Amino acid sequence: MTDELENQLRRALRPVEAPEGFTERLMSRLPVAPAALYTSAPVVVALPVPARRKPRNFALPAALAASLVAAVMLGQHMAYEIETGRQQRELAEGRAASRELMEALRVTSQKLDMAYQAVNSPSRPAAPGEEENPS
Amino acid sequence: MKVLMTAFVFALALSAPAITQAQTRSANPAPLRGQLLLPDFASLSDKASEVVNVTLDQRLLSMGCRFLNVEDPDQAEFKKVCTGLRGIFVRHFTFDKDFAYPKADIDSVRRQLNGPGWSQMVNVRSNKENTNVDVYVLIDGEKAQGLSIIASQPREFTIVNVVGTIDLEQLHDLKNFGVPDLELEKKDAPKKK
Repeated sequence: MTDELENQLRRALRPVEAPEGFTERLMSRLPVAPAALYTSAPVVVALPVPARRKPRNFALPAALAASLVAAVMLGQHMAYEIETGRQQRELAEGRAASRELMEALRVTSQKLDMAYQAVNSPSRPAAPGEEENPS
Repeated sequence: MKVLMTAFVFALALSAPAITQAQTRSANPAPLRGQLLLPDFASLSDKASEVVNVTLDQRLLSMGCRFLNVEDPDQAEFKKVCTGLRGIFVRHFTFDKDFAYPKADIDSVRRQLNGPGWSQMVNVRSNKENTNVDVYVLIDGEKAQGLSIIASQPREFTIVNVVGTIDLEQLHDLKNFGVPDLELEKKDAPKKK
């Protein structure tokens, strides 16, 4: 049984000669273009090579801008501090000046009073040409 | 890093005007008309037992006037007087012994009052008490533009120099401060030298 099946398979799968003109028919049915591609001369196309761009570096401008902003803010802060300090100094100076003013007035009035007392002293002889003070 | 530092310094320089604007200071002003050149009495400060040194230029004077307490009637009164003033300079020294100060300095100030415009209003010489008091006014037109007092005693001397328009009538209103009623405009009308 096994031998018979084997023989049948061997007969069915035995090499068979291709019919006459099979190769030509087969080749004629194949598409022409791929064959032409292989047969024509190779064409070299020089495509433009894209320039290799450097990656843009934003670090420097960003740092410059940050420096500028920082410097302006620092300047404004300093100006504010100076202005505040100036106002406080002016306040202190004003109060000190006010005290000095009163002190100056005290000394001035004291000396004017001294002159007044001397002028009005009954023991003081009247200088020539000086009017008599009635008070 | 160097670029950053340069940029920072540059930016700081840009903001400099804002800083300098806050730092504006008035320049040292020229002497005012009627302002005396007072000698430097700094060396006397150590010898003196009491020193009053008041230097109020126009800026300080206006600041001082601004800070006077208007609720205090005396200070409010004085505020009226000081609006026309441009400077007050007082040097007052008291010593523990007689004539510890150089009389030549006092005389140099007195000589300045011999200049044009100044008129001697009061001249007190007391040989007994060795007291000299001179009151001068600087007359410009109809108005007093300055008042100077030089008072010297054996143990003290005082120089007062008030610069600016002085309303003598308003000065009379300061009696509460001890300013005597000198009846200036009535009797002791200044005689031009």
